[in-house]
Amino acid sequence: MAKKKIKLIDICYYRSGDKGDISNIGLMAKTEKAYEIIKREVTPERIKAHFRGWVKGDIIIYPMDNLQSLEIMLYKALGGGATKTLRIDQTGKAMGNALVKMEIEVDESDL
Amino acid sequence: MKKVRVGSGSSGWPDFKDGALDVAQNGDIDYISFDHLAELTMAILQSQYAKDQMRGYIPEVIPLMRGLLPIWKEKDKHFKMCNNGGGANPPECANQVLKIAQDLNLGSFKIGVITGDTIPLSQVDELRKEGWKFKNMDTGEEDIGSVRDRLLAAYAYTGADEIIEAYEQGADLVIGGRLSDNSLYCGNFMYPLGWKFTDEYWDRIGSAVCVGHLLECSSWSAGTCSNLWEEIDYPKGNPGFPIAEMDENGDCIISKTETSGGAIRVQTLKEHLVYEVHDPENYLMPDGIADLTQIKLEQVGKDAVKISRYGDKPRGKPRPENLKFCLAYNDGFIAEEITIVCGPKVFQQAEKAHEFVKRRLDYLGLKPREMLWSLIGWDSLCGPTVGSPPPDYDPPELGIRIAFKCDTEAEARACRTECGHLCWASLGVGAGFTQPPRIRPVFALWPTLIPREAVPLSLEIKETK
Repeated sequence: MAKKKIKLIDICYYRSGDKGDISNIGLMAKTEKAYEIIKREVTPERIKAHFRGWVKGDIIIYPMDNLQSLEIMLYKALGGGATKTLRIDQTGKAMGNALVKMEIEVDESDL
Repeated sequence: MKKVRVGSGSSGWPDFKDGALDVAQNGDIDYISFDHLAELTMAILQSQYAKDQMRGYIPEVIPLMRGLLPIWKEKDKHFKMCNNGGGANPPECANQVLKIAQDLNLGSFKIGVITGDTIPLSQVDELRKEGWKFKNMDTGEEDIGSVRDRLLAAYAYTGADEIIEAYEQGADLVIGGRLSDNSLYCGNFMYPLGWKFTDEYWDRIGSAVCVGHLLECSSWSAGTCSNLWEEIDYPKGNPGFPIAEMDENGDCIISKTETSGGAIRVQTLKEHLVYEVHDPENYLMPDGIADLTQIKLEQVGKDAVKISRYGDKPRGKPRPENLKFCLAYNDGFIAEEITIVCGPKVFQQAEKAHEFVKRRLDYLGLKPREMLWSLIGWDSLCGPTVGSPPPDYDPPELGIRIAFKCDTEAEARACRTECGHLCWASLGVGAGFTQPPRIRPVFALWPTLIPREAVPLSLEIKETK
């Protein structure tokens, strides 16, 4: 089967926010097929590698079948949290944008 | 079937004031809720109140009410309102609103004033003596001992009980302090629909918590900050705020006025339903625990989405025993500076300046607790996920942002002036500067829990003479 590299932004919408030093990213699949792909391919290990040291804690992913979305929590991910961080994006609003640049490999027939 | 229409009026400070006025004027609402507080706002308001007992509330409430109360007066259906704009001083906020009500000759106008969410630090100490630890919910640290000496303020996120009680006593407007954003909506659904905090109602309260979440950020559910931004329009420049029509079974239709811009789509609501909720099966709020995986969204009109049941599980569970409690403490000072590098070779210039700043900090013996070097136009938002710039990439300009955190304001100022600002000296010919923001004290937050019974809230009704 022919494999193809895509970015999450090709098949997902996203919005991110914060609670303390936790970044919270909602990753919304654009289609049912896309939901199956992200449930399979978006794993804590891959996300952690993608953020290259910006996420220092655990990563938990909650699937939401009703919305074909993943609720992704990144611990120790905002440089201390909104009130303490030195980052310009104090509340992690762009963490979703950062995530959807992540590449995954899919079967061409999956798209 | 019994229904109630609840509008969103505000989602922080500041928000579009015309959004609330539009909802009140054109939304055929029964109730409207205003959230005015971000996580840190209470700590700032408490320090204002400590200096001046006439302050400590959100000043924006006053012009907002000056705009809203004439609409309230002219409507046959007098909608009811609740807000958390009282901040650290709900009574004074109510006094100021009553003056407006008198001036407008509203006749009888009652304000329910809720106080007691601010907990004196002496009581925090008492609870610790009794064995309550105030474990940090984010970091897992067991006890507040490490920050006790630096504590500034403490406040509990409270629920809808007193809002409902105020309406029972005839309040037209309820003003509270750290009323949870979500409870401002739960109260407005629960009171008119007669829902109680009992087993029979947890499913419907779960729906109210969910819809409250969708409404509490105002325009954010109606097309602002959306993935659909290219197709969403604001013909007159006025984003719409969402309005929920909830029925007695806990099903609901979310819409907006035709006079406003933006859009209500399944996608705009979905974006908000996944926003900052953490474990979606257990979305914890003071009035109930919602299961957001049991919610179905369905487009039923141009700007109308139906919210109903998705699965066969209840949409809600009994409310938590404890309330969220935030302790704010001093944690040093942050100073920042932005310098704009002019090309050519912007990345090379920036790299040289970075090295210069590190050497100069050493040379002067300055030791900031933390320093962050970021490049605006490259990695200031997405950090290391952007990688290194390609060798042939040389944009016409690039911002350097340097931020320092130090224990004292003097150290923060020295870092900024000596190293942050003067880093231009190591750049090539030509750079731009901005006026740096004020050096700011860091109010850090310690999120924890407190037993409900340790937060004795009180309700007072004030009315026009």
